Amino acid sequence: MRRREIIAGIGSAGVVVGAGALAVVGVPSGDDLFGTDREYDPLEIETVDAPGSEAGEVLVPPGDRVAFVDIFGTWCPPCIEQMPALAEANERVSDDVLFLSVTNESVGENGAITEDELVEWWNDHDGNWTLGLDPTAELTERYLAGGYPTAVVIDASGRVHWSDDGVKTADELVSRITDAQEE
Amino acid sequence: MERRTYLHSLGAAGIAGIAGCLDDVPLVGGDSRTVLGPPDERRGDPIHPTHGDEFPSFTLPDPLADETVSLEDVTGDRAFLMTYFFTACPDGACPALLLRLRRTQADAIERGYDDDIALLAMTFDPERDTPEVIEEYAGQQGVDHEADNWHFLRPESYEEGKQLLDDTFGMPIQRIEDSDDHDHDDSEDDHDHGEYTFEHFNLVMLVNHDGVVERAYPNAVDQREAVSIETIVEDARTVAQR
Repeated sequence: MRRREIIAGIGSAGVVVGAGALAVVGVPSGDDLFGTDREYDPLEIETVDAPGSEAGEVLVPPGDRVAFVDIFGTWCPPCIEQMPALAEANERVSDDVLFLSVTNESVGENGAITEDELVEWWNDHDGNWTLGLDPTAELTERYLAGGYPTAVVIDASGRVHWSDDGVKTADELVSRITDAQEE
Repeated sequence: MERRTYLHSLGAAGIAGIAGCLDDVPLVGGDSRTVLGPPDERRGDPIHPTHGDEFPSFTLPDPLADETVSLEDVTGDRAFLMTYFFTACPDGACPALLLRLRRTQADAIERGYDDDIALLAMTFDPERDTPEVIEEYAGQQGVDHEADNWHFLRPESYEEGKQLLDDTFGMPIQRIEDSDDHDHDDSEDDHDHGEYTFEHFNLVMLVNHDGVVERAYPNAVDQREAVSIETIVEDARTVAQR
């Protein structure tokens, strides 16, 4: 039904040339905004009371300093494997870096895991930095670089400096973060 | 819509002259059957249906809703977005595929078109992906499987699923027996029937109300704009709300 209405509507379409150009070139708000050049409004990320992390919220990107984001899930074995390198990198980079791990699991009484279970997981794997929640997966949508875990370095202007998925060494993480600081 | 408008204008100029450029658009009557124009990405000749092709019919059980879902159920008055996965997927690709459906589901609720799109996630590992395992996975991946627009699909057997994927959906999978560790230690979960994994394409399909493919997104977890989560959500929104 809707289809017929649309087809019928086309007979009287007036913006033929402009629309045709769009169809050929692609989505209007496209390429130049994508990837590392893309800038976003900051997202408010709720943070959890856990080792190294206080309940509250942080802005991603913070806009005035470099941020490192680890996108993980407690269900994800390589994310567990990534934890020691994260701990080491967090120790090695300067304190003004926002160092953050975020999960988009639904956390809470009716969620996939409770907050207590999340904190227990964090404890078990020696998390000791800011732990955030992304219940709508908006942050994940913006920054996920393929699969889990994803590591993202955002420079002080809010642009993605580097991102990649898979397990990284502490050396690589530190060097990516330091690069972004030196920009 | 732009696409149709475009074709209409070309029609006036004589569509026969450009027929060779539009080989994936049926030219009967000169109207496109799709809302979206052809993809910018050009590639070979994939065996799965692509832009302008009819999606093949199917009927598969939804193990959580305890009903079967067919192509007719998810077309007609709505469009659908579909992917193929298994929960034991080791590299995080399957969760990234599911995330594209999850974000579309969230966007549809936020913008009020949730009746206009269905989200279908088909496992090809029914032996390990029991209803219980799938339900737990749904929670981990943050999808609302109780919503009317979400269906997990689970073939009755591995063989049935493989045949459907190979012969019908054009999404071949390869089961890989894990030869590395024959020494299973006792702590392995009982529900893992031996160790194996799959080689599979990371494919997402967007199909319109008429059952015509709007987009096939190959390598859909790559970091490139054509398959970014935002692109897929926007395409799905456009098609659902046509």
